[in-house]
Amino acid sequence: MVNLTIDDKQVTVPKNTTIFDAAKAAGIRIPILCHDKKLNPFGGCRMCLVEVEQMKGRQIPACTTPVTEGMIVRTMTDEIAKARKLVLELLLLKHPVDCPVCDAAGDCDLQNLTYEYQVNSNRFTDEKFHHAIDYDNPLIERDMNRCIHCGKCARICDEIVSFGAYTFISRGIEAKMGTQFDGPLNCEFCGSCVSVCPVGALLARPFKFKARWWAMDKVKSVCSYCGTGCQLTLGVKDNKVLTTIYDENQGFHNGQLCTRGRFAYQFVNSDKRLTTPLMKKNGALVEVTWDEALNAVQQRLASAKTAGDVAGLVTPRLTNEELFVFKKLFKDGLGSENYDHSAGYAHSALSKGAVESIGVAASSAVIADIQKTGLLLVVKSDAYETHPVVGFEINLGVKRKDVDLRIISDKKGKLTKLPGAKTYLNIPGTETLLVNALAKTLVDENLVDAAAASITGFEEWKKSLDGAAPEQVAGICGLTADEIKTLARDYVKAEKALLLLPLGLGYPGHTKELAQALFNLSFAAGKHGKEGCGVLLLAEKNNSQGAVDLGLYPVAGGKDAAAIIDGCAAGSIKTLYVAGENLVVSYPNRKKVEAALDKVDFLIVQDLFLSETAALADVVLPACSFAEKEGTFTSAGKAVQKVNRAIKPVGQAKSDFEIFNTLYVNLSGKPAVADPKAAFAEITASVPAYAGLTYETLGDAGVVVVPAMTPKFAVAPGAAPTAEVGKMALVTGSALYHCGTMSLYGEGPMHVCPAGYVEIGREDAKRLTVQDDDLVTVTSAAGAVKLKVKVGSRMPEGVVFAPYHFADQSVNSIASGESVTWVTISK
Amino acid sequence: MTEPRVFFNFGITDDSHTLSAYRGRGGYQALEKALRTMQPLDVEKEVTTSGLRGRGGAGFPTGSKWSFVDKKSPVVYLCCNADEGEPGTFKDRWIFEHNSHQLVEGVLLAAYALNVRHAFIYIRGEFDLSYRRLLLALEEAREAGLVGERILGTEFSCDIIVHQGGGAYVCGEESSLLTSLEGFKGYPKNKPPFPAVKGLYQAPTVINNVETLATIPWIITHGGGAYAGIGAQNNTGTKLFGISGHVNKPGIHERPTGYPLKKIIFEDCGGILGGKALKAVIPGGSSTPVLKGFEIENVTLDAESVIKAGSMLGSGGIIVIAEGTCMVRLLQVLTRFYAHESCGQCTPCREGTAWMDKVIGRIVAGQGVKGDLERLEAVTSGIMGNTVCALGDAASMPVASFIKKFRDEFEYYIEHGRSMFDGRLEI
Ligand SMILES: Cc1cc2nc3c(=O)[nH]c(=O)nc-3n(C[C@H](O)[C@H](O)[C@H](O)COP(=O)(O)O)c2cc1C
Ligand code: SF4
Ligand code: SF4
Ligand code: SF4
Ligand code: SF4
Ligand code: FES
Repeated sequence: MVNLTIDDKQVTVPKNTTIFDAAKAAGIRIPILCHDKKLNPFGGCRMCLVEVEQMKGRQIPACTTPVTEGMIVRTMTDEIAKARKLVLELLLLKHPVDCPVCDAAGDCDLQNLTYEYQVNSNRFTDEKFHHAIDYDNPLIERDMNRCIHCGKCARICDEIVSFGAYTFISRGIEAKMGTQFDGPLNCEFCGSCVSVCPVGALLARPFKFKARWWAMDKVKSVCSYCGTGCQLTLGVKDNKVLTTIYDENQGFHNGQLCTRGRFAYQFVNSDKRLTTPLMKKNGALVEVTWDEALNAVQQRLASAKTAGDVAGLVTPRLTNEELFVFKKLFKDGLGSENYDHSAGYAHSALSKGAVESIGVAASSAVIADIQKTGLLLVVKSDAYETHPVVGFEINLGVKRKDVDLRIISDKKGKLTKLPGAKTYLNIPGTETLLVNALAKTLVDENLVDAAAASITGFEEWKKSLDGAAPEQVAGICGLTADEIKTLARDYVKAEKALLLLPLGLGYPGHTKELAQALFNLSFAAGKHGKEGCGVLLLAEKNNSQGAVDLGLYPVAGGKDAAAIIDGCAAGSIKTLYVAGENLVVSYPNRKKVEAALDKVDFLIVQDLFLSETAALADVVLPACSFAEKEGTFTSAGKAVQKVNRAIKPVGQAKSDFEIFNTLYVNLSGKPAVADPKAAFAEITASVPAYAGLTYETLGDAGVVVVPAMTPKFAVAPGAAPTAEVGKMALVTGSALYHCGTMSLYGEGPMHVCPAGYVEIGREDAKRLTVQDDDLVTVTSAAGAVKLKVKVGSRMPEGVVFAPYHFADQSVNSIASGESVTWVTISK
Repeated sequence: MTEPRVFFNFGITDDSHTLSAYRGRGGYQALEKALRTMQPLDVEKEVTTSGLRGRGGAGFPTGSKWSFVDKKSPVVYLCCNADEGEPGTFKDRWIFEHNSHQLVEGVLLAAYALNVRHAFIYIRGEFDLSYRRLLLALEEAREAGLVGERILGTEFSCDIIVHQGGGAYVCGEESSLLTSLEGFKGYPKNKPPFPAVKGLYQAPTVINNVETLATIPWIITHGGGAYAGIGAQNNTGTKLFGISGHVNKPGIHERPTGYPLKKIIFEDCGGILGGKALKAVIPGGSSTPVLKGFEIENVTLDAESVIKAGSMLGSGGIIVIAEGTCMVRLLQVLTRFYAHESCGQCTPCREGTAWMDKVIGRIVAGQGVKGDLERLEAVTSGIMGNTVCALGDAASMPVASFIKKFRDEFEYYIEHGRSMFDGRLEI
């Protein structure tokens, strides 16, 4: 620890703390323009200059200078005020000072400091710049006339996003924050640079001229896209969510968001939102009153209850409280266990795999472990696409914490390019075999942790690995036995090592067995139950983890999603209640799903939009988005976080909570669950990991719950998919800009990535004589779709990739839920 | 006169720059002596005893700089700063062109003292003959087993890597030199951390000027004490002075420190062109404050004396200005240079240098306005001491000192829209 004096205050801080941070800890504010707590210090703006007794003669930048013992710091003297004022005057020399039309006004550090330092006239004058404003992309406007050269955009894009879109070009006064060859911005559009730009040089175009910053209400909430569970602040005015506002103090991610969180909130106030209930009359959906719609639904459910032919499919995007009432409605109101979510398979790694391996449907690690581990083994490079902000954590871990990154994947990806990252390209669908071969190496080389032998199922598991040796499976997996062995040794030898696997509708191959194989590996290596160790299963959606915590899948003999679809087709399910799932597009085998829905007698769909599934319904109930309700989401990292109501329901929409609750009361005869808070109280009483939580204890920060785990070795055999001669392996998954099908209503993602595509490696493209944007037909046993080609260096020969989100030419028209779909591609 | 000479101790011929010629003059014997009879720490001790101060401009005691480095670090780097970009300075070039081997030997001695396996020479991109002579010297030295593995058959190995600069003055500033060497755009860095702790590729690094390093062989041969006996007390030794401007015989002179400035101008350089009166002197490269003619009366060429007079010894580039020169237009040459060379990283220097140049340009164009001088002064005081690197100070000192010393000329120019000294200086 170091002792120093700042403005006559005694301060004690750890070694290597900067003067700025030391002052902050002592409650003393030093103005900054180029500093950001997430970024490496830069020290360019010279706004944070202070005086240090021991360094007289120069003024010292507080943001870069570490404290030393006995240092005497003054953060404000006449001289300092003068210097800071001059800095502001100089910055304003070239700055257009067009605050009246700048969206950053009110939230602009330059404006605020100019006000604070009362720079009411500038002693200096100069001509302004006339840089052309970059309007070339739909999301980020770049007005370099307003730039104050803080360099934060370049640093965040490089250090955290690891994209590296920006750099200063030229020098001196000609210096300009530029892009590659000074061309238009073409990047991930995560918006991180917009977030940290202290002025209005980088602006979110979808928000342009929507509202003055101070006229908006700022409501804290949680992103409703992926399982990362980023906290965000909604900018609200006139009952509309106009933007997401950056707050560097939110969440583990310090306010960082990805494209979806930053630019895809428009679905909330989309004019495509359902605003009234609809009922099918004479073959067409027509608007009806809530009374009529709910009566019809209730009557139908009442008779289905008696007949026992009802089932429900619910989206894990709903709040825990809503899922809780949905489950009550089914169990107590309808006496049915036929409910499921995420097509069943997308949660089986947790709900079956983890449950059998550690006794609870959860990961054995949390997101914070990523930066604390020594070696991170990611299965599937898509972890970046499925959970982009987790991807940022990985970037930071690798670059700042020396995390040794290894990737097992069927294709290369962004993670592959991180410094020192090692990618082992495997043949699609062989992941479980490969993980078992890693474990087998530990067994064969006597590297198994001493404590592992006492874990239940050890001997049986060990025996089950006969035949899983690297030499036996290497060829099948597409790696060499040496590669497998080296990876196994490195994994076990690392002091801390973490395994990471993304889950989701696009990843049918990420099964119960794969998860179990990973858990087994972690037990065998002694990498379980310790900081920086374990298995992190990244559940796909904003509340996927909550849905498994609450058991939103059949346990006692009910039908799971696949059985429900089959039941609909076979006529044993006659009433289907779909809440928020767009199974026509996202569940495997579109033809089969459509036929099943066609067959079902009565289809109730509750959604924000008239989705492809809702269009087939008998009754459509308009639901509320996350911005219109209160409740909690549980992230993939097991953070239970509070969602707050930001706007009133759009049109006549009702929250899922209210709809389920009404039906529950009427069908069960039991009293209503008073409100989400009461529902949460009931949840905490029934889900052990949530015990003791209340909305108050969650606060703004949320709480990461740590469930009790009991490790158990489970036999988890892997099998390679049988290749079909002459065909290519299609693997499906997530695109960076999308999550599920909801992002299709986000302006941002749709501008950048408006339609599906098939990604093909260079060699294959050459062989098929196809180029970027060519339209090709991708044919599988299940059907054919026409997709545009994207040629890239990510795909190994013989493997192609297609994202699953898109309704038009949807990938589930050709994919049937196998880990690999064998396809031919023709022009 | 039998003054000791560190540099000017041989006659220049067509091949006086070669290895055999250098060896003939006793070259590489210091290296032999050090490697065979001295411990690395002994070399450092001699340098400390010598009182040698850095010749790159800041005049920091070399021994002391070396002492900050943790020699036990697995990697220590040495970088020779050969970016020589300061206007008025051309001494390092002389060393390269005429005696690159002396520098190479100096680099090796420093590397030995500092436990350096790889030393870098960052040479100004515009230097052509210098570059070729340096490469030649290195090739000769390598062939002779003087550079590379097991030098002179000892355990000591050191490679010397030459890197050509890309034409930025700021890359002579030590921290941006390192960034540039690492392959990035040459941005200076905030200190701390200092290069001695975290320099090139995050390893402890010493950066020394060409002349500084080229002096080491003499010190090892003759002993630090002998060197300390030369010249001024607190700024020992001999130094290369490059005299340019309005003198009859401009050029390089090696003189012991403490040598009278007037003497070097009027005797060694043959006095002022055309017999004019001396108007002003910029004593240590374009960045140092200007002195009026009468102010140099008792100034001697050592740090203390020049500082007492209100300027700095800097790099030893003496710019002599004759009576009749327009100081306003002369200043414009400098402001243009610094505005062009600012890296643009920090606010005061980026905006300030450009603005100062603009205003001086406006004054020169006859469009100066009342208040310009006060504003210029405000900007210089806002830049000085407040920037990431010393280029900000370097840009401000000429402006501040020119206005302070020749205010009447500036006021006249602003008021009348033209110079006090019409027409070109007749020389
Ligand atoms: C803008 C600027 C340019 C500089 N250029 C040079 C240069 O060209 N050569 C040089 O030796 N030192 C130059 N310096 C000084 C170096 O930063 C450093 O002090 C010097 O190389 C240290 O060597 P020394 O201790 O041997 O003098 C420059 C400094 C500044 C601020
Ligand atoms: S939007 Fe994201 S990827 Fe694009 S430049 Fe900004 S920080 Fe980089
Ligand atoms: S664009 Fe914004 S963030 Fe980037 S350097 Fe300029 S002011 Fe800073
Ligand atoms: S989509 Fe996921 S990663 Fe992106 S902002 Fe939302 S929660 Fe964060
Ligand atoms: S003082 Fe000038 S040259 Fe030095 S870092 Fe700042 S802007 Fe760059
Ligand atoms: S905040 Fe410290 S220099 Fe910019």
